[in-house]
Amino acid sequence: MQPKLTAKARCTDKEVGKISKVIVDPLSHEISHVVVRELNGQGVDRQVPIEQIQTVVSEEEIVLRCPSEEFDRFPQLERDQYVTIHDVEIAHLEDHLHVEPGEVLVPLPRLEQGVPRRAFFNNMTHAIGTLIALPLAFPVLKFLMKPMYKPFDNAWFSVGNIKKIKKENIGFQFKFRRGFKEAFMPEQQIEKNIWVVKATPEVQKAVTGGKDAKFFGNKGDLLHVNKANSPYIGFSGKCPHLGCGYKWRRTKNFPDGVFLCPCHLSLYDEAGKVIDGPAPRALDVLPMQVDDAGEIKIIDVEYKAGIKKQIRLL
Amino acid sequence: MQKETQPVNQPNPFEKVIEFVDERVGLKTIQAKMMNEPIPGGSRWAYAFGSILLFIFILQVVTGILLMFYYVPSTDHAYDSTQYIIHEVDYGWFLLSYHFWGSSAMVVMVFAHMSQVFLWGAYKKPRELIWLVGLALFGIVMGFGFTGYLLPWDQRAYWATVVGVEIMDKTPIVGDFIARFLKGGPTPGQMTLSRFFVIHVMVLPAALMGLAGLHIFLFRKAGPAGPFRGTPEELKAKTDYFFPRQIWKDIVGMATVFLIICSLAFIEPVVLLEQATPDPGDYHPEPEWYFLFLFQLLRLKIFGGEFGQFMGAMAIPGAFMAFLAVLPFIDTKPERNIFKRPVALIGWIFIMVFILVFTWSAIINREFLD
Repeated sequence: MQPKLTAKARCTDKEVGKISKVIVDPLSHEISHVVVRELNGQGVDRQVPIEQIQTVVSEEEIVLRCPSEEFDRFPQLERDQYVTIHDVEIAHLEDHLHVEPGEVLVPLPRLEQGVPRRAFFNNMTHAIGTLIALPLAFPVLKFLMKPMYKPFDNAWFSVGNIKKIKKENIGFQFKFRRGFKEAFMPEQQIEKNIWVVKATPEVQKAVTGGKDAKFFGNKGDLLHVNKANSPYIGFSGKCPHLGCGYKWRRTKNFPDGVFLCPCHLSLYDEAGKVIDGPAPRALDVLPMQVDDAGEIKIIDVEYKAGIKKQIRLL
Repeated sequence: MQKETQPVNQPNPFEKVIEFVDERVGLKTIQAKMMNEPIPGGSRWAYAFGSILLFIFILQVVTGILLMFYYVPSTDHAYDSTQYIIHEVDYGWFLLSYHFWGSSAMVVMVFAHMSQVFLWGAYKKPRELIWLVGLALFGIVMGFGFTGYLLPWDQRAYWATVVGVEIMDKTPIVGDFIARFLKGGPTPGQMTLSRFFVIHVMVLPAALMGLAGLHIFLFRKAGPAGPFRGTPEELKAKTDYFFPRQIWKDIVGMATVFLIICSLAFIEPVVLLEQATPDPGDYHPEPEWYFLFLFQLLRLKIFGGEFGQFMGAMAIPGAFMAFLAVLPFIDTKPERNIFKRPVALIGWIFIMVFILVFTWSAIINREFLD
């Protein structure tokens, strides 16, 4: 028969308390002590060796070998010298124990009792961990950042001849191919497109506001000036809303045609100004020159989409 | 008594979050169970190898993932992208060299870990399963070394793989299938590179993580073996918990290994040879140093010819691994003291001397080739 926790503990002469906890030996997995909480006084817990149990009368009562005067000589339980089995991993310990309800205690190893340097070890462990991790942070960041910030490519690309544009104030698409070199990959030819409008003076004015547009390179050096009175205006093929490719379309409301972005339905007029839709700014005007033979050349500039300001990416 | 009159500290927001999670998942119990594992006979430097292996593996994962940001596993870009990592990307040479030397450190630590377990007799009952899973992990570490070696696609990589796959081809019955499976065809090429890449970055890491988890679970289930001598009373008197002393020893070990790997990466950074071609030119094919002793074995006359080759390349290493696998089941005496297990001690010394001698002779042989 096994006594329950809360079973009464009697000495040879009278009842002295109740079992409140048991203590288990971590090596043998056997119960080494029961902890008896005194009935009288402040309810002191005393550690009673298991051999001191004479008989187990019932699940509810045990009898100790000693008289009640000797019971006081059992050492008081020093709770901080023990851990519960919830705080410690001892293989197969729980298979042996059927103790309900209450705490099963395991003595703290002697080397772990009152370790003055526990905090020191803890701090040093963290310090060394930090010393390993920290020096790696910067190199790893730099490693990942390598291809992120490329210098701008300010080369001029021929895209086609203005003779193809037969009508004023409509969007006309020119496709062109350009070389593109990325990291270790061989140079590839990629196809891009721009939109060119042969503008009447009114539209020219709407685009330029009557002012020359200046374009600058990486270090703020002047690359090119689009003259205010130039009749040809080139727009980047990238919608300034979120970067889709837009088209020139005639619609019921705009029988003369508008620039329409199919992604989020931004509408722009022939001067690139936003008519409708979510776009935050007008279409991006490219640095463009037209030579005497009518050949159009542009610098392939791309700006960040989705914001009012033009911030150059490419 | 004065302390009790002071106001109780209010938990700060961080402690509140910890408390919130703890209430739901029992975080503190898990932490306590992990940290407070009694180590019979106390913490030791000799027990640090397993933790160090885990540490090296984690850093191999980190550096490996970083390398994949640039590396392209195709025969026309693998070499260029690796060169790009070494010569163009900031600190790329360091991360690649760390990954390279980390793999060697892993093999060294596996040998140290296995030797410690063997000499301590810790593979014996009730720890047979830990030993078996450990052997599988050993195989995976070697597999990492073998598959990773091909990825830079230089001459060294290509030829080590050619020879390695030819060796596997000599396995009876399934050899031809295994070799074709690994090569993805009759000769090494793009399919081989793709397969080695997937095995190296997906299959083996997943297998290693799963089995390492099982290894640690089984270890915690059985409990640490402790030293091989001492009475229960002596062991009990010296027992302490995993935290703080063992963790301290582990982390000092990790820091040391980390510094050694970093130093090697600085002193001897990875330099690629020419891009791989099916013409070795002046290059003398050779595997990574931890396979050298096996490589050298196959230069011996007695391992010539079809049968000899099978013996040297497959039968002997295979039989040795099989022997290690059944070891806990044939060596059932509970005696763990290595000084009372003369056969085990002599056997271990023999194996170590054999590996050293053959590795060394392979290195000496280089001079005759040049």
